[in-house]
Amino acid sequence: MKAIDRTIGGSPIGAAAEDKWTSIRSKKMILRKALRAALRALNLAGLLALVLIFAMPFVWMISTSLKTLPETMIFPPEWIPKSPVWQNYADAWNTGPFLRYFVNSVVIAVGILILQMLTIIPASYAFARYKFKGSNFLFGIVMVTLMIPAQLIFLPVYLELSAFKLLNTHLGLILPFASSAFGIFLLRQAFMQISDELLEAARLDQAAEWKIIIKIMVPMVKPVLVTFALFSFIAHWNDYFWPLVMTTNETARTLPLGIAKIREVEGVATWNILMAGNLILVAPILVVFFLSQRQIIKAFVYNGVK
Amino acid sequence: MTVWEKLRPYGMVAPAIIIFALFFIYPIFYMIYLSMFDWNFVSPTKTYVGFQNFKDLLAEPDFRQVLSNTTVYTVLTVTLTTGIALLLALWMNRKSFFHGFVQGAIFSPHIISLVSISLLWSWLMDPEYGLLNWVIGLAGFGKLEWLSHPSTSLISLVMVAVWKGLGYNALVFIAGLQSIPADIYEAASLDRSKPWTTFTKLILPMLSPTIFFLVIINMIGSFQVFETIAIMTQGGPVNSTNTLVYYIYEYGFRFFKIGYASAAGVILLVIVGILTMIYFKLLSNRVHYR
Amino acid sequence: MAKIELKNISKKFKDDIVIQDLNLTIKDGSFTVLVGPSGCGKSTTLRMVAGLEKQSGGEIWIDDKCVNDTPPGLRDVAMVFQNYALYPTMTVRGNIEFGLKNRGVARTEREKLVKDISEIVGLTPHLDKKPQNLSGGQRQRVALARAMVKKPKVFILDEPLSNLDAKLRNQMRTELIQLHKRLGTTFVYVTHDQVEAMSMGDEIVVMNKGVIQQADSPMKLYHDPANLFTAEFIGTPAMNMINMRDVQGLDIQTAASIGSVGFRPEQGLINANSDIEGYAIEGEILTRESLGAEHIYQIQSRTGVFFVKTFLTPLETADRVKVTVPYGQLYYFGLNGERLRGIETSTKRLVAAGGV
Repeated sequence: MKAIDRTIGGSPIGAAAEDKWTSIRSKKMILRKALRAALRALNLAGLLALVLIFAMPFVWMISTSLKTLPETMIFPPEWIPKSPVWQNYADAWNTGPFLRYFVNSVVIAVGILILQMLTIIPASYAFARYKFKGSNFLFGIVMVTLMIPAQLIFLPVYLELSAFKLLNTHLGLILPFASSAFGIFLLRQAFMQISDELLEAARLDQAAEWKIIIKIMVPMVKPVLVTFALFSFIAHWNDYFWPLVMTTNETARTLPLGIAKIREVEGVATWNILMAGNLILVAPILVVFFLSQRQIIKAFVYNGVK
Repeated sequence: MTVWEKLRPYGMVAPAIIIFALFFIYPIFYMIYLSMFDWNFVSPTKTYVGFQNFKDLLAEPDFRQVLSNTTVYTVLTVTLTTGIALLLALWMNRKSFFHGFVQGAIFSPHIISLVSISLLWSWLMDPEYGLLNWVIGLAGFGKLEWLSHPSTSLISLVMVAVWKGLGYNALVFIAGLQSIPADIYEAASLDRSKPWTTFTKLILPMLSPTIFFLVIINMIGSFQVFETIAIMTQGGPVNSTNTLVYYIYEYGFRFFKIGYASAAGVILLVIVGILTMIYFKLLSNRVHYR
Repeated sequence: MAKIELKNISKKFKDDIVIQDLNLTIKDGSFTVLVGPSGCGKSTTLRMVAGLEKQSGGEIWIDDKCVNDTPPGLRDVAMVFQNYALYPTMTVRGNIEFGLKNRGVARTEREKLVKDISEIVGLTPHLDKKPQNLSGGQRQRVALARAMVKKPKVFILDEPLSNLDAKLRNQMRTELIQLHKRLGTTFVYVTHDQVEAMSMGDEIVVMNKGVIQQADSPMKLYHDPANLFTAEFIGTPAMNMINMRDVQGLDIQTAASIGSVGFRPEQGLINANSDIEGYAIEGEILTRESLGAEHIYQIQSRTGVFFVKTFLTPLETADRVKVTVPYGQLYYFGLNGERLRGIETSTKRLVAAGGV
């Protein structure tokens, strides 16, 4: 062994030199270990800081919602109020017809969802699976719609709905979103990915066309449907702009509008009541998010990547 | 083929197409039409004024400020959101329970109503009793006016937008990173590629479709910012946070100058249209990386 | 049970002519294999029989009934697909009985049929599973069961074994042969693998570029190929071909112009006794593949590389060898690849005396 070492090293390596070598190496190892530990600590600290930046505002919101007004002005802040003021929630709820807001929100978000399902499934199937004259032109309309944000055309739509006498009605808030270009785009992709063999097998099994669609094709795109449903429901539950623009009285107004209005009713600085109202709006979504976090993240991110 | 079989696809797409035609396609033309009239919504007569509305708009100093506000807001929001999100994604692209938890936490603002976020941040940015001023006070800084001063109001709104968008952007980046096959990294390491080279020569180009996607999506979103402005600043102070959609909203629904607001809408339409076209152009050029 | 007749069938995809004027009779109760390189039109032919593809011209008859305008579901044809095409949203039972349900078979009858068939293919314990939770072989069996349960007149199988690993493929091959014997139904089977074709079919149809090259029994195909294409396509290693220009020392008595001469690798005798009369080639052994009972040699000769296969002989160790092919084992092909039969051959004495 020694002889080989010597020839490879090019210079003689004695026992002492060898000892020195191992000690240097062990020192290096210790240093590297320390560095690695430090990095790991830094990484952990960074992640914790991130959580703090994103979670703190919510914690602060809950904390404020349980304080009296004077308590909200105390610094350094009390994170956990000594005697939680649950009354704030009742006060927030009583600033307006909140039951109506809530019912309106549910009716509109669910109504939109149901109509969207009814319109996008057949449309996306036809675009994905049938060849027909004008399909390119019609799909062009879908693509153009996909690119037009509702924010851009609210003025003419407002005039349109007003001409139809649909302002301040549920239908007026539902109808413009009764179909979704995004949904059609997404679902069409899913339908196109299903292999032709499967359809042929079904045809040899003597299945009628509608049966093939309902029994075989739609169940196969169920994950995409769920994804889209989550996306659509959350978007319309949260929507502030459209109901704000398309309503002039309380009949069809939704939760986000009611919450935003607390400020007008209670005065600008009643942060405790505002945060209580805010929590009424946020809590359901946050609960759903924590229950099905993975699914929801997939819904939004996957839609982004596709 | 029977007649029914020939008509079937049309029947299937009809409901969706009718909705789109009625509430998306037709309104565009209607808006362009309205932009050439002087009309207050109540009066039975519309007066044709040609391109006068556009001329007035562009001559108006307020509108010019609105355009510049919107541009500044968009550029800042997009660069900060996309840039920080990319760094976060590179850092957090690991599969562990803890990383999953952190990803969930930073994503959560994305699914929360902008109303909630606006109210919450108004409270956090309260000049007197806001938590933010207390925190920067701990670090030895003086109080800031945040939304109440023209010099900080727009950047405060950018902060809120970045806070809201960061998690979504980071997760899209992570999904993009995970779609890069692992063997490419392995091949690079066998070729003795340095981490920086791997990043600039391999990861970044392969991620470019995702980057373009996010940049454009963020841009289109930022150009239409409305909720935070309506709730947090109402365009103020002294017009410092007034942006396009809010401007259209005010002219249409507060001042009832329908033609004028429509003209501003057409300008926004052109901007968003150009952005979308760039997006599809870039996407079709870059698509081979996937 | 049924006879299938294809009369003057042609198929165009837009302007590409895939099949032109194809005539074929598939015998009742036969196991007919369509074989050929990819893109030869074999799958298209099969799909036209099933009704999944409409022919551009010609007629298809199943059992003396023209089915040109019969939709696929009513042709009494069942198909096993290359990727199985199982309905992923249904259980194994659901997959098998879907076709029965669509035909309006009563519930009790259905249950009995499903029970019987799943016993035959060995799926009884898996009936309530989804296809995703089955192994490749089990999925294959579901696909078979789904086809069989309808008791069709014709079974159509489109490369059904190509997704299985080698061992399972051999096993399924035997099972399919047994199944065919048991059912006695007409099987039409498509594959690009000539070994599979030879081992399974009792009637093989070799296709190339949309044209039938030869339709015969496996043995006939092997020993009596109709043309150059079939000769080279069937058999591993393929038949050795020597361009006529490079052939020396053969006295061929024929008026026809010969394009090439061929022989099967197992007919070449290495360092044979000198009393065997035949065409002799000298060459250098490049590689030796030994499979135990048989050896395959790759040999470089003056005219190119050729293969020789031997059985139950010791491995040849010499580098340079002389290979003799008996005259009777030589195949002759014309300039257009057609087979030339009945050609007498002998050695050119003069040249032979000089020693080749």
